[in-house]
Amino acid sequence: MAETVATAVTSSNSASSRNNNESHFHQLNLSVLKATVDPVCITKKPSPYVEILVDGKVVRKTEAVKNTHDPTWSSETFTVLVKINSKCLLRLYSHSTFKRDLILGEGRIDIQKQLVREQGKFDKTNLVLDVKGEIKNASIAASDNGRSSRVKIGEIFIVMDGMRVDPKLLMTGSSRSTTRVNGEAGESSSTTEIRTNGTAVAPVTNSTTGENGGGARPRTRSNDVEAAPIPAVAAAPSRTPNGTPQQTPSRIPNGTAAVAAATPASRTETAPATPAPSAGPAGPEEPLPPGWEVRFDKYNRRYYVDHNTRSTTWERPQPLPAGWEMRRDPRGRVYYVDHNTRSTTWQRPNVERLQHYEQWQGQRAHVVQQCSQRFLFPQGGGVSTGTAVVTGTEESDPLGPLPEGWEKRVEPNGRVYFVNHKNRTTQWEDPRTQGMNQEDPLPPGWEMRITDDGVHYFVDHNTRTTTFQDPRPGATKGPKGAYGVPIAYERSFRWKLSQFRYLCQSNALPSHIKITLNRSTLFEDSHHQIMRLPAYELRRRLYVIFRGEEGLDYGGVAREWFLLLSHEVLNPMYCLFEYANKNNYSLQINPASHVNPDHLHYFKFIGRFIAMALYHGRFIYSAFTLPFYKRMLNKKLTTKDIESVDPEFYNSLLWIKDNNLEECGLELYFSADFEVLGQLTHHELKPGGDNVRVNEENKEEYLRLMTDWRMNRGIEEQTKAFLDGFNEVVPLEWLHYFDERELELMLCGMQEIDIDDWQRNTVYRHYTRNSKQVQWFWQFVRAMDNEKRARLLQFVCGTCKVPVGGFAELMGSNGPQRFCIEKVGKETWLPRSHTCFNRLDLPPYKSYEQLVEKMTFAIEETEGFGQE
Amino acid sequence: MAATRRLHKELEDIKKSGLKSFRDIQVDEQNILTWHGLIVPENAPYNKGAFRIEINFPAEYPFKPPKIAFKTKIYHPNIDEKGQVCLPIISAENWKPATKTDQVIQALVALVNDPEPEHPLRADLAEEYSKDKKKFMKNAEEFTKKNSEKRPSD
Repeated sequence: MAETVATAVTSSNSASSRNNNESHFHQLNLSVLKATVDPVCITKKPSPYVEILVDGKVVRKTEAVKNTHDPTWSSETFTVLVKINSKCLLRLYSHSTFKRDLILGEGRIDIQKQLVREQGKFDKTNLVLDVKGEIKNASIAASDNGRSSRVKIGEIFIVMDGMRVDPKLLMTGSSRSTTRVNGEAGESSSTTEIRTNGTAVAPVTNSTTGENGGGARPRTRSNDVEAAPIPAVAAAPSRTPNGTPQQTPSRIPNGTAAVAAATPASRTETAPATPAPSAGPAGPEEPLPPGWEVRFDKYNRRYYVDHNTRSTTWERPQPLPAGWEMRRDPRGRVYYVDHNTRSTTWQRPNVERLQHYEQWQGQRAHVVQQCSQRFLFPQGGGVSTGTAVVTGTEESDPLGPLPEGWEKRVEPNGRVYFVNHKNRTTQWEDPRTQGMNQEDPLPPGWEMRITDDGVHYFVDHNTRTTTFQDPRPGATKGPKGAYGVPIAYERSFRWKLSQFRYLCQSNALPSHIKITLNRSTLFEDSHHQIMRLPAYELRRRLYVIFRGEEGLDYGGVAREWFLLLSHEVLNPMYCLFEYANKNNYSLQINPASHVNPDHLHYFKFIGRFIAMALYHGRFIYSAFTLPFYKRMLNKKLTTKDIESVDPEFYNSLLWIKDNNLEECGLELYFSADFEVLGQLTHHELKPGGDNVRVNEENKEEYLRLMTDWRMNRGIEEQTKAFLDGFNEVVPLEWLHYFDERELELMLCGMQEIDIDDWQRNTVYRHYTRNSKQVQWFWQFVRAMDNEKRARLLQFVCGTCKVPVGGFAELMGSNGPQRFCIEKVGKETWLPRSHTCFNRLDLPPYKSYEQLVEKMTFAIEETEGFGQE
Repeated sequence: MAATRRLHKELEDIKKSGLKSFRDIQVDEQNILTWHGLIVPENAPYNKGAFRIEINFPAEYPFKPPKIAFKTKIYHPNIDEKGQVCLPIISAENWKPATKTDQVIQALVALVNDPEPEHPLRADLAEEYSKDKKKFMKNAEEFTKKNSEKRPSD
């Protein structure tokens, strides 16, 4: 963590690019006209110039004007790149020929706030910034009540021009930006938001004392937000919950022994609360919100008592943001109301959470835009139901019992079929062998493909020849799939997809179901309607209607609904899903989801919904993590799977595996701890594990147990609920044709990949952009179809999704990491990939044909092969 | 707790080794995950005082590295105003489960004694350090006298 802080503060703007990944850059023309410096504060005439920083990075400077309190500039117009949620800082310096330039003070522009004020566009917008700085003049500093030595020392006059954004984007954002909180009330009345360095949080419009009455607060925020409240519907409190109450601050009995398990307050304080690049001196601590009190336990550790909820926490509470209110439901459980958006949540809002929310909200426009940009293959192609053939015969059933809910039946003509009572589907294929490879694999270097007419043929990469003849001895035996082809050959994604579609079609139900929704309460409405119906009915044709927008749904509306709702279920306020980590935007189940008492119910709902997306061939907005897909496929998770979600943990496991434990005193035992919302859970990896020491003999077992635990901790129930919901609509066995990467493609679709952008943002190691192999590589990429490109991306980067900002924003496990091609190995080697560094190890092949052959082989044979 | 045994052992070893530059180690028995201690640097300009630090071990220690924060203000290019410090040995890339806390502390003491302006957390101080060492020393010494803790007498 220390490392990231370093880069953020110094030069790179990695912190901001991470946070704003979902927003685009905009050009902003910023003119600095003049400045005034208060001669009382700065007695000696300075030689002022202005430095412009965007998100902590210096982008431009004006010329210095010599010896004046009132510098003017005639032609200082700069084009800077900003994002909607960028913060600009204008620093006023005094230039000195002999000494270091002296900083006089600084003024801050919150782009988003200004945009809100200007209805989304800057058209020669004039702005006067208050410049605040530290001054040496003791008498003035003292007159400031000693609260802060930073005072206004002057003003900067600027003009902003040429930026225009969709006001819709802002309305959602703006209501948030003012809600960021905190103790320093009353500062926001000035036209610009000026931030003194230490207080790193936006000023509030409501004074915090207004929250005392619990709701009878004056609503004075109107000048900022005209917009209709954006209703991120709230989940939980309106429903009748079934779990036990559990608020955000985990309940910890004061001073009892259980306290030892919790984290001390200071740990969480070290996490930077805002992405703002300001690194000013640590300000005085803000006052506690009403009803809170600081106490010290008998070990003199600080904790906080919330008399409102009668709970305690180690974390220093932040006052509720403006427009928020705490309430109690009829059962006495505390929840929080956001009057800005008319929504509610169980979790006490804080700055960080609101920022996540803001970021999430900012994606809306992008979600809708995605409707037209995702695709797979034209549906239904190549499915000829007439050719269906019986599955293999299992008289003696060596495969064991059928999965729960399945039954084997025989048609009057003797043909065997299978019924799934859970989701009322039938199929010819045995669910126990569905999608499984039952035959010997092809010899090394061989691959099976299908012609455009659907005939299978075999490619021998060793000799670069093709044949219709199966190279394996006795290849004709073994069960055949529904298309009369041995299951082991059924490899191509297109083929698998048509198999899946066939099952969907043959289990379709007549008629349709109507799903009527308000856009403003999308989540609640969808949840209500989907859970109200018997699950199998969700396989009827969908007829989605947005209230007030009546029109015929011939697919377009449903498509939009899937994207919008899939984005909605990721709403951080529901606490259901989270990003895998700060550099991996794939989603995984949030182990803290239990703060939402109805979470299991919601996971079941989302499971149904995801099954519907697959069944109806619609796409969802965000990808899940690859381990999550593997769980859907009931595949065993390996240590390698941890790498993509928790690289630090993975590295440590790897280190333990590769080093001799006897020599380094790790003091490891068969147990582990895990922290959720400040509460520690202890877990023995096996019975009595607390007293079993890890050594070289039992190390393998330890690593295996640790891997299982790491991937399942805190999310077992949720995963089960999700899979149950899924299985009610579509049998999970139907997925077994696919691997996790294909599942991601099916769910998220593909996007047209911009190869020029890709090539532009690729770096090389031990190659140059003119190397033969590099040129061949790009020639090969251009010759591929989009599916292959997506798979190549998955092979190298672990996901088929290009970041919103294009390849320039590709992330690795340690921050931004461009696509990289490195020269490694000999021409006989296959290419390898390092997904955490987006790196492809490309051996120096001798010809284009050789490169194509090796690359194709590596990409198609992703599983357990080639990757590192 | 899974990390308890290891941390107790490490604590014992550190106390036994009697480091001159890291003293006054306080850990309450109920919460072995948080340590407090006093850094006592040898080199100017920090040898005019001592600095309180807090070491926080994550629940997943030693799978994840500890975090260090200065509780005493310090005028140092590699330590920011919030007390955060950038120490390669406990960064995500370099962390190894076998790294011991006394190694971490020694790396920290070395960094305090000899700042690394090439990898600054506070660019302004790094610049001053590189461009005008004299001024930096003067400022840092004044700052240390004003803000730091008393050095132990022995």
